Amino acid sequence: MGDTDSKARLRRRVYGLAAVLVLQSVCAVFFVGDAIRDLHFSGLSGHDVLEAAVAVALVSGIVFGAIEMRRTIEQAGRAEEAVTIASGALGTMIGEHFKHWQLTGAEANVAMLAIKGFEIAEIAEIRRTAASTVRAQLTRIYAKAGVTSRSQLVSLFIDDLLGGPLPGMEATEETSSAER
Amino acid sequence: MDGSRPVPLRLWDPVVCITHWTVAVCVLLNFTVVSEHSELHEWLGYVALAMVVLRMIWGVVGARRARFSSFPPSLTAARDRARTMLSPGRHGHGEANRSHNPLGALMVYGLWGMLFAVAGTGILLENFGEASQIGEVAEEVHEVTANLLVLMAALHVGGVLLESRLSGINLIRQMTWSRRGKSGPV
Ligand code: HEM
Ligand code: HEM
Repeated sequence: MGDTDSKARLRRRVYGLAAVLVLQSVCAVFFVGDAIRDLHFSGLSGHDVLEAAVAVALVSGIVFGAIEMRRTIEQAGRAEEAVTIASGALGTMIGEHFKHWQLTGAEANVAMLAIKGFEIAEIAEIRRTAASTVRAQLTRIYAKAGVTSRSQLVSLFIDDLLGGPLPGMEATEETSSAER
Repeated sequence: MDGSRPVPLRLWDPVVCITHWTVAVCVLLNFTVVSEHSELHEWLGYVALAMVVLRMIWGVVGARRARFSSFPPSLTAARDRARTMLSPGRHGHGEANRSHNPLGALMVYGLWGMLFAVAGTGILLENFGEASQIGEVAEEVHEVTANLLVLMAALHVGGVLLESRLSGINLIRQMTWSRRGKSGPV
């Protein structure tokens, strides 16, 4: 949750920066165009030196804004990478379970996609098989894992991931296991 | 485990998207409906120029995929690319995702060059007036380059559609904001 929040914030920031850059660029070009017109009508003067300085300032502003923007984009990219690495560690753990349950290669693949939240139709499309095949594979996977639904399959890993009861949460832990 | 998953959709960053569509709209408006003698024509031209200038800065200091170094102009690479596109069944999938393909890159540099020529001559025309000698030349060049620009843009759109069909990657969607929540760095 916190991760999607920070990603959304970064994305908003990127779009805000882009809007400012666009505005700055339009202003800079209009300003320079105007300055050229003045130059044409009245020849070189002290005023033009000032205008040249302003133009340089405007363009530097754009360059620095652009660099800032690239940093933000790279930061967003790194945030995404971190998620991938986390799922890498989780992936290893999941893989060990699959081995323990003696899933076949195809079943492991389907199980992983199911855990990642893909629908049956999507899994069928990704694996280029019929939806009925995927459904049959899922039934076998659930049987081997000793669960009856996808949400149970996922919650097995959530339990493992959380390890033990959270501090101050023992009571809730009990009610939730009683539910099951 | 990931071998069977489809190539992730990588999007162009907002600077590339905004500058592109602003330029396209300004050019098409100026070429079609906006009267060439109106102030609006000049304003739209300035806005298009501003977008190209911003894109030039972004091409130097911007995001990796948008930088000029990611799509250097290369005639040989473009020729190879054209050959691959023309021979059925041999178009690469993965590489299409990095930046502009070499053939597209040539067109992109051509379009930018033409945009500078059109805007530059337009500004000359505006400053010197059609009656002066410079203005007369500028008017000729402005007209010719504007026509060339639109011709190249038409080829460009054709190339985009062809490449999208051959590679199975919707290039136009990469240039828009759709589905940005699902994948891509930003
Ligand atoms: C006068 C009109 C147009 C001009 C001058 C123009 C120019 C350009 C330029 C300079 C780029 C490179 C973008 C960058 O790296 O910043 C580009 C890319 C692109 N344009 Fe246009 N364009 C025009 C119209 C269109 C239209 C109408 C479409 C939609 C069909 C379109 C679709 C695209 C796409 C999809 C790309 C990305 C190509 C890729 O993935 O390599 N363009 N265009
Ligand atoms: C960037 C996109 C632009 C496009 C596609 C474009 C296109 C055109 C076209 C097709 C004409 C008609 C030429 C003729 O038949 O003689 C024209 C005329 C003109 N353009 Fe542009 N233009 C652009 C930018 C500009 C800019 C930036 C300026 C000035 C600031 C400008 C100033 C003019 C003027 C003054 C004329 C009138 C020429 C005449 O009296 O025939 N244009 N433009």
